[in-house]
Amino acid sequence: MKKISRYILVLITIITTMTALPGLYWLAFEKPNRAPYLFYSCINNGFVVQRHQNGKLIFSDLKGDKYTRSKYEQKLPLLYIRQLLVSGTMPDSIHGVEIDIHKVNRNRSFFRLRPKDISSPKPGLYPMFESRSGRVNLQMPKDFFRIKSRMEFINANTNTVEERKSELFTSALQHYGFAFPSKMIAGIPTTRKSCDEGYFVIDANNHLFHVKMVRSRPYVKRVKLPEGLRFKYIACVDFSDKKYYNYLISDKNKIYILTQDDYKIIRFPVEGYNPKREELRIFGDLFNYSVYMVGKDHLKIVVLNKQYQKVDEYQESWPNRTQRMEGKVFGYIFPAELSLSKWYSSYNKFYFNRTAGFHWLFLNILLLILYFFILRKRKIDPKKGIIDFIIIGITGIFGFIGVLCFPNKFYD
Amino acid sequence: MWKSIIYKEWIKVRWYLIMLTLLGILVLGIIFLGVQHDKIFSNANNYWYAILFNGLQYYSILKFIPLLMGIVFAFAQYYPEIVNKRIKLTFHLPLDEDKVILIMMLFGMVSLIISYGIMVFLFWGAGSFFFAREIVNAAMITITPWFLAGFGAYFLIATIILEPIWLYRILYTVITVLFIPLYLTDSVSGGYSPINLSLTVFTLVISVSLLFSAYRFRKGEM
Amino acid sequence: MENVIECNNLSHYYGKKLVYKNLSFHVKEGSILGLLGKNGTGKTTTINILNGFLQPSGGECLIYGDNSQHLTPQTKSRMGFLIEGHVQYAFMNIQQIEKFYSGFYPQWKSEPYWDLMSKLKVSPNQKISTMSCGQQSQVALGLILAQDSDLMILDDFSMGLDPGYRRLFIDYLRAYAKSANKTIFTTSHIIQDMERLIDDVLIMDYDRVLAQCPVEEFMSEFRQFNFELENDAVDLSKEDFVINFEKIKNKVELYTYKDENFVRNYLDKAGIAYKNFTQVKMGLEDAFIGLTGKY
Repeated sequence: MKKISRYILVLITIITTMTALPGLYWLAFEKPNRAPYLFYSCINNGFVVQRHQNGKLIFSDLKGDKYTRSKYEQKLPLLYIRQLLVSGTMPDSIHGVEIDIHKVNRNRSFFRLRPKDISSPKPGLYPMFESRSGRVNLQMPKDFFRIKSRMEFINANTNTVEERKSELFTSALQHYGFAFPSKMIAGIPTTRKSCDEGYFVIDANNHLFHVKMVRSRPYVKRVKLPEGLRFKYIACVDFSDKKYYNYLISDKNKIYILTQDDYKIIRFPVEGYNPKREELRIFGDLFNYSVYMVGKDHLKIVVLNKQYQKVDEYQESWPNRTQRMEGKVFGYIFPAELSLSKWYSSYNKFYFNRTAGFHWLFLNILLLILYFFILRKRKIDPKKGIIDFIIIGITGIFGFIGVLCFPNKFYD
Repeated sequence: MWKSIIYKEWIKVRWYLIMLTLLGILVLGIIFLGVQHDKIFSNANNYWYAILFNGLQYYSILKFIPLLMGIVFAFAQYYPEIVNKRIKLTFHLPLDEDKVILIMMLFGMVSLIISYGIMVFLFWGAGSFFFAREIVNAAMITITPWFLAGFGAYFLIATIILEPIWLYRILYTVITVLFIPLYLTDSVSGGYSPINLSLTVFTLVISVSLLFSAYRFRKGEM
Repeated sequence: MENVIECNNLSHYYGKKLVYKNLSFHVKEGSILGLLGKNGTGKTTTINILNGFLQPSGGECLIYGDNSQHLTPQTKSRMGFLIEGHVQYAFMNIQQIEKFYSGFYPQWKSEPYWDLMSKLKVSPNQKISTMSCGQQSQVALGLILAQDSDLMILDDFSMGLDPGYRRLFIDYLRAYAKSANKTIFTTSHIIQDMERLIDDVLIMDYDRVLAQCPVEEFMSEFRQFNFELENDAVDLSKEDFVINFEKIKNKVELYTYKDENFVRNYLDKAGIAYKNFTQVKMGLEDAFIGLTGKY
């Protein structure tokens, strides 16, 4: 029991040092790595790039032609329209389309989805806005709904269920064949949006429903989905062009949109998106959609035209920190790293990360030898430390600290 | 005999336990007074909205209270044992030495379970009065590691106090100070849900760590 | 009679510092042994080893046949232990502490405890920590008596006791031990008390044992002779038979296990002139100082 209690303490030390020491190491030695900025130029019909080189910002295109800042901005007139208007360098038309700032702004959209947004606890309660109140501003309702065995509205002030309203919505959902409980509820639960489109709800049978409240009455629409299509995430958007309700990520990591009013599901011709590790950014402008998939050490861009057809793509990767100098040194010291949170999830877990390669074995062997001599000096039979040696052999510096902090001194 | 041990432990800690529990209840009182106030002042629906979508944790001042309770409680229970090395008397009782220490530890653990249990029950009850279960459940998941931190600190501080050599006490303290934050990582409401069970098991495993210090004491390490 | 305590070849080091080497002694059932020695000679070390609070560097102690490093609960219940300084659970009051200990010992006798407590003039609800040093000592002693153990290990029991009470306690303790065949292992700073109490004496010096025998034997065989030298310069401290030789000007105190005739013969043969030769009757304390030296 006493010996077990020692190993428990050693284990605690291993866990503690495995989180603390690598963290301190990165804090001290990690160097920043600036990802390049790429945009699709509707002037060049190709990408232009901003890069940090030796502390200076370089503008160029992929062929290697360098630009001044203002030249660079002129390659991206839809992005820098205000600057170009002030400088008087804005073209009147592009690709035969007459440019005016309202049209440009109306067609401009920006969307971002981080792995953390997908992997996060969901609130479970949502406000159902009155989508046609006749007022300009949306109003926060007095109640919040959940969809479990039925759809329930809970009054926040009294913390009780609004029976009449719940009954009304539940029967409306049932009428459209909704199977309780819901698997996913997606919407834009804020009053700060141009208008309300309610919620998109996936039912127990993986059917997609559009639910909103119109003049205190439920509006329900069942969306026809292609056979077998399942979604792992739905992100509703509020873009001024009002073309579609949301971006939908399928269980096979394909990106879809759902068009407004006619409820058509359209797939973006984008492959290789990894929602667990890549941030998705979609820029829309007058001519294109640029789909960015940004990981810690790479970048993929697919550019679509307004008919959602691929017109260009690009990818680039750069050494991540484990491949750089500081990471290689890390590999010689630490066999693994443990952390309770990660950039790609809002959940706390034991994120265990074994160091690639086996360079740390050198240090482990060194520590084993050192520990052997320490035991000799303390006049402890090294045979009694056999488990300690195994611990050091596997966990290296972490276990070494552990077995030293809790001395192996037993008399029996 | 174990009844006598418990009697002694009870005499040592009773006022601390009662005062700490009252402190915990006081903090809960403050929390829900605040809830009551904010609910009226910013309207219940806006208040719920802030909790559900803006990450407001109405109970955030609770975060370090169980930890503090665990630390103070460990001192109240184990410090009197090392004054004048009184623990020699404890070891000299006609019981197995490990068993005596385990009974003491179990007494402390059960005391904390009762004290924390009262707090968690009140937290849950008062929370359920004001909020829907989704909000209360997320809050319960969030406060779970905070209470586990109290247990973890209790077990490790017992180990530190009973350790006879100052150098090692300092080392253990460093490890404890680095270890306890694992329970207290900043997190969104409900973010600890995948880890609460394993943390609980892990915390239970730590409970016997004080046996090591007790053994070192008995063997006259100095 | 069997040996209650049997220590064989005990050695102990603190780090590199030797406390003692190959110390062996035993305590017979029903006897009272006093462990005497100056500070730092290893009295408390020995007590700690006996109670299993210290792992000796070498050797072992058996108590009722149990290795002192692994005392069984049964053996521990037969042992009463008074920690140096009369340490007790001072956060309790005298009622609580009696209730606490009585739960452990089936043979618990509360009368001697309450007898003692009634003389203390403390309120039953007063915490032990708020009592005077002497009162705390009596609580600790009362508990030892109530435990009615077969073997009592008393580390410096007389500390903090008033002289009168000390005498009373010692007489009581001896009568009690002898009538009930109890074994006592004790140390004390105040050696004159021990004379009334102990049967056997074990005198330790730094890293060795000076004497180990029944106290009567020690007192009858260890002798002090005082005389005055004609010649101040004579030094006898190197002689084999001399245990201790103290000299102030020409006045000599000579300690030896030899008798008067032997010493006188020696002095005569060596041609050392002296006068006023007397054998001095020693108490145990005198003998102890004689044996171990004043420094």
